[in-house]
Amino acid sequence: MTAGPGAPAAARDSAPSLPDDVVRAPAPTSPTRPSARRRRRPEQVPLDGVTRVGRAFAIGAAVLTLVPIPLVLLVALSASWREGPFAGLTTQWLVEAWTRVQGNLGVSVRVAVLVLVLDLLIGFPAAWLIARHRFPGRRLLQAVSTVPIAVPGIAIGLGLILAYPTLRPSGVLMVAGHVLYTLPFLLGALTPALGDPAVRVQESVAATLGAGPVRRLLTVTLPGVRGALLAATLMVLTLSFGEFNVAFFLFTPTQQPLPVVLYDGYLTGRLEAAAAATVLFLACVVPAALALERLGGAKVGQA
Amino acid sequence: MTSAGPRAGRRLPRAAALGAPLGALLLVVLVWPLVTMALRSVSAPDGGVHLGRYVEVLTSGRYAESLVFTAVLALASTVLALVICVPAGLYLERDRTRTGRGLAVAMTVPLSLPGIVIGFFIILTVGNTGVVPTLTEAVTGERMLQISYTWAGLLLGYLYFQIPRVVLVVRGAAGAVRPEAVDVARSLGASTATVYRRVVLPALRPAIASSAALALATAFGAFGTAATLSRGIRVVPLEVASAFTDAFQPELAATLSVLLAVLTTVILVGVGRLGEARVQGRPA
Repeated sequence: MTAGPGAPAAARDSAPSLPDDVVRAPAPTSPTRPSARRRRRPEQVPLDGVTRVGRAFAIGAAVLTLVPIPLVLLVALSASWREGPFAGLTTQWLVEAWTRVQGNLGVSVRVAVLVLVLDLLIGFPAAWLIARHRFPGRRLLQAVSTVPIAVPGIAIGLGLILAYPTLRPSGVLMVAGHVLYTLPFLLGALTPALGDPAVRVQESVAATLGAGPVRRLLTVTLPGVRGALLAATLMVLTLSFGEFNVAFFLFTPTQQPLPVVLYDGYLTGRLEAAAAATVLFLACVVPAALALERLGGAKVGQA
Repeated sequence: MTSAGPRAGRRLPRAAALGAPLGALLLVVLVWPLVTMALRSVSAPDGGVHLGRYVEVLTSGRYAESLVFTAVLALASTVLALVICVPAGLYLERDRTRTGRGLAVAMTVPLSLPGIVIGFFIILTVGNTGVVPTLTEAVTGERMLQISYTWAGLLLGYLYFQIPRVVLVVRGAAGAVRPEAVDVARSLGASTATVYRRVVLPALRPAIASSAALALATAFGAFGTAATLSRGIRVVPLEVASAFTDAFQPELAATLSVLLAVLTTVILVGVGRLGEARVQGRPA
C-alpha cells in the first residue's frame, strides 16, 4: 500500500496524539481545497457515489447517537413504563430524582470547578512552554502528557489508591485523578492557540509599543486565545462532571459525585428513576457539549 | 505548528519554571502511582520480587478468556466504527450546509457522555424493559431486539463511544483527500468502490491508523460502559475492579492493571505508527 499525495502532511497532523489535537484543529486547509465554494456548485445536486455513501452512513450514525436522548426523556416522564409507553405522563420521577441527587450534583460541580482551576494553573504555563520554547525533553513532556489517554482510567484510580492509601478519605485523590485525566485535553486546545503566529505577532507589536509582559498577557494574549480557552474550560468541566472510571476507586462515601449515583441507579433502581436522574445529568452536559461544538466549528485550535 | 525563537536556547530557567507544575503533577499523580502499582504486582509475600502473578494471570482460563473477549470486542467495535465513520467523516467535511453541520454535531456530542450513561442508553433502548422491545410488543405482540445484556448490546455500546472519536480524527484529516482526485477518478470511470480503494483509503491511511489506535486503546480500557451493560461477560477492566473490590486482592488488581496499561499504550503507539510514512524517522 502506498501513501497518497497528501499523506505525509496528514501524518504529521494526525499521528498518535490526543483526540483533541485533531478534534479542535479543523482540517488542515490546503489552498487548493474549494470546500467553501463547493456547495454552491450546481453539479453537486446529483450526488456522486462517494458523497451518497458518506451521507447515508452519517445519517445512520447520527440516528444511533441521537435517538437515545429523547427516549431517556420519554421514559423519565412516563407514569409507569412497565405498563407500556402510553400509561400517562408525570413529572414525579424528575422531582424525586432532583431531591435525591442534588447533593451529588453539588459535589460534582465543586470537584469540576476545582479541577478546572488546577488545570489552568498547571496547564496554561505548560501549554505556553510547549508552544513557544524549544528545550531538551520537550517531546518527552508532550508524550508524557498524552499518557492519561493511553492508561485506562481504572488503572489510574487503582494506582492512586495504592500509592496514597491514607489520602483517600480526604477526597484529594479524586480531584488529582480528574486533573490528570482532563489536563491533556486542555493542553490539546491551548497549545496550538498559544503557538499561533498571529497572536505572537500581535504580542510583538504590543511589546514594541511599550506594553509590559503583564499588560501583553492580559490585553493581547488572553483575548487572542479566548476561543481556545473557552473550549478548554467547557471540555474540562464536562469531562470532570461525567467522569466515572477514575473516580470508581477514589470517591468517598460522603462525597459521591453524580456519576456514581447514576451508576447505582442503573444497576438497582427502576428504569424511570434512572432515566430521570440521567435527564438531570444530560441537562447539564448536553448544552455545554453543543456550545463546545460551536466553538470547534469557529476555528478553535487555530485562533 | 509551534516554533521557537532564535534565543530560545538561553531561556532554560524560565522554561523550567513554566514546566515545573506539569512535571510535578505527572511525577506525583502518574509516575509514582504507576511505579507503586508495578511494584505491588511483583511483590512476593516474603518481601522479595517475583513474577508469579503474571504467569498465573496469563495462564489462567478466566483471565485469558476475558482478555480474548476484550480484544474481540475492541477489534469488532473499531472496525465497525471505521467502516461507518470514514465515509461519514469525509462527507461531513465536504458538506457545509445545515444538514451537514447538524449531522456533525449529532456525531460529536457523545464525546461528552461518560461510559455509564452510554451503557444506560443501550439498556433503555434495547434492554429488558427497553423502548424498542416494549414498542414492538405493543405493535406486533412480540418483543424484538432485546439484546442489551448480550454480546450484541455490549458491541452496540462500544460502537456508540467509538463513533465520535473516529469521526473527529477522520474529519481532521479529510483535507488529504483531494476533491480533484476523486473527480478525476470518477471521470475515468471508476466505481464508488474503486474510488474508495484507490483514492480515499490511501490518502486517509494515517488518519485511519491513528483513529484505529485511539479507538482500540479506548475500547480496551473502557470501564463504565461494560460495568453498566455486562452480565456475566467479563472484560479486563471489570476484572481489575472485581479483583480489588470483591476479592480484595490489590496485588492481583495491580497485575491486571499493569497488563492492561501496557497493552493500551502499545496499541496507541504501535497502531498509530503503522500509518506514518516510512520516510519519517523515529522520534528522538
